[in-house]
Amino acid sequence: MSKAMTRPADGQTIPVSFKLNGRLQEVDVEPNELLLDVVRDRLGLTGAKRSCDVQVCGACTLLVDGRPVSACTTLAFEVRGRSVMTIEGLAEDGKLHPLQEAFIEHGGFQCGFCTPGMLLASKALLDENPNPTEEELKHFMHGNLCRCTGYKKIIESIMAAAKKMRGSA
Amino acid sequence: MLRRFRLEEPESVAEVSELLGRFGDSAKVYAGGTELLLAMKEGLIQYERLINIKKLKGLGEVAGDNGTIKIGALCTHRQLETSSLLQEKLPSLVKLEQNVANVRVRQAGSLGGNLCFAEPHADPGTLLMALGATMIAEKTSGKREIAAEDFFVDAYETSLQADELLTEIRVPSPGADRRSAYLKFGYLERPSVGVAVALTLNGTTVNDVKIAVGCAGPAPKRVAEAEVLLAGKSKDEAVRLLPQAGAIAGRASEAISDLHGAQDYKEHIVGVLLKRAFNSIVS
Amino acid sequence: MQFEKQVEILAPREKVWKFIWDIDRFIACVPGCKDAKTVEEGKRYSATMVERVGPFKVEFPTTIEVLEREELTHIKAQASGADNKIGSRMKIDLDVNLREQDNMTVVSFIAGVDILGKLAALGHGIIKRKADQVLDQFAQAVKTTLEGDQ
Repeated sequence: MSKAMTRPADGQTIPVSFKLNGRLQEVDVEPNELLLDVVRDRLGLTGAKRSCDVQVCGACTLLVDGRPVSACTTLAFEVRGRSVMTIEGLAEDGKLHPLQEAFIEHGGFQCGFCTPGMLLASKALLDENPNPTEEELKHFMHGNLCRCTGYKKIIESIMAAAKKMRGSA
Repeated sequence: MLRRFRLEEPESVAEVSELLGRFGDSAKVYAGGTELLLAMKEGLIQYERLINIKKLKGLGEVAGDNGTIKIGALCTHRQLETSSLLQEKLPSLVKLEQNVANVRVRQAGSLGGNLCFAEPHADPGTLLMALGATMIAEKTSGKREIAAEDFFVDAYETSLQADELLTEIRVPSPGADRRSAYLKFGYLERPSVGVAVALTLNGTTVNDVKIAVGCAGPAPKRVAEAEVLLAGKSKDEAVRLLPQAGAIAGRASEAISDLHGAQDYKEHIVGVLLKRAFNSIVS
Repeated sequence: MQFEKQVEILAPREKVWKFIWDIDRFIACVPGCKDAKTVEEGKRYSATMVERVGPFKVEFPTTIEVLEREELTHIKAQASGADNKIGSRMKIDLDVNLREQDNMTVVSFIAGVDILGKLAALGHGIIKRKADQVLDQFAQAVKTTLEGDQ
């Protein structure tokens, strides 16, 4: 358990206790603080990116209780009592998640900017639907934008990871 | 960057209403925040207080009884797209909800918030009109029911009073012969045009037709003139009248020329979608 | 955004002309306009324009400059202002023409309206519609005020 730096008591603060990548985290936030800023600037986890800032691109995707949210437009106090996963929590014990392996193997990223969001969103998809059709995958992922790959490699990566995960389940 | 505000977390409708009454324009109800926070981050609007209503009990469920489906205003789009009751009773609403924005917006955004923000390009209001929905508005001194077509006043404006909270959306449970569809079209993040149709098919006759258009203009609209034209007609005759009904609906949409398309283009698309939506439910 | 409006007023042209220069009464006809002040008689005025679309509110401290003035027939003016809180600017180029027709005065005006900055996020269509509504209300208010005077 770690206690993050507390902001000056400048106005209202809300104590937030939540699970961050499986570990209990406590932090005092002001009502207007965004989850993305708290995670990146105060907790030092910079995998999630601020990009469009209007919930369109998916680069700031985090999982809250296993579901994808736009951290750029989520107030930090909303994660009280919840479980948050960032890309830094996807690999376990130094071993990459099958999705991460598949993205490497199938060239699912180039510049890597959208990749944390892509991986977390696709994890949420496969957790609820381990055997998606390509159509279902596209529908679920259409709010995650990539400007390098043309998406084909991303789809191949996720489909390959799904297959592998089904096989090992 | 979001400017400072104070957070209120009331636990009853009466408290919400009291806060709204007390703080007026300087306070705003906050639920999913998917639209409100965007406007606030952009600096287009500022509030001294946000009233988080997610601690209110009983506003986050879908229930059906006595021929009415009751949707709590706090239900998220995600809840609605996965509700087994809605999948059985209102598949057109489920389909609409599956296609609202993206998976993250659907996770956070609530139906009540979508309706109250009254962004002109939102989908649900249009279909809810065709489904004959009513909105339940509550405040300290009581509660009232507002027909969906009376709820939307203008772009970003509803008929809710300053101290009223939308708590529930009621949709009459459709009979076995009742059918409905919502179709939208657009090439930007939000739709350019949305059209909803509901009707009862008695043998080969279409009855009790309801048509609504949205996204093209400032607010969703019921199109009674087009409904009257088609109601009571045989399926084939109604199909022949669709171009005429589409033209009426196009005009009624009060389409605005903007990035989403020119006025005449949007009016044309209204006609195309009306035809497709109608055909999809009568064939 | 360009708007053209015309309003027929049952009043003599001299009266309409005089009314236009009666800044307090004239400004009262512009929806959302308040605190009109004369900075330099016949040349420069100031006012505050407050407009609203649903919950979105802008407040433009506005300077109105008279660029051309042809007695009883023509005025060219420019109004401009900025809302620094929201980060938006507006500019209105106004071309007003008066002519007599039977017992009426026909006032026609062309307004070129530019709204710049964050307000644009509301969408061009919504802003255009709002500007159109404001101009219509203004034209109607001028007519009502002047005809009510009879």
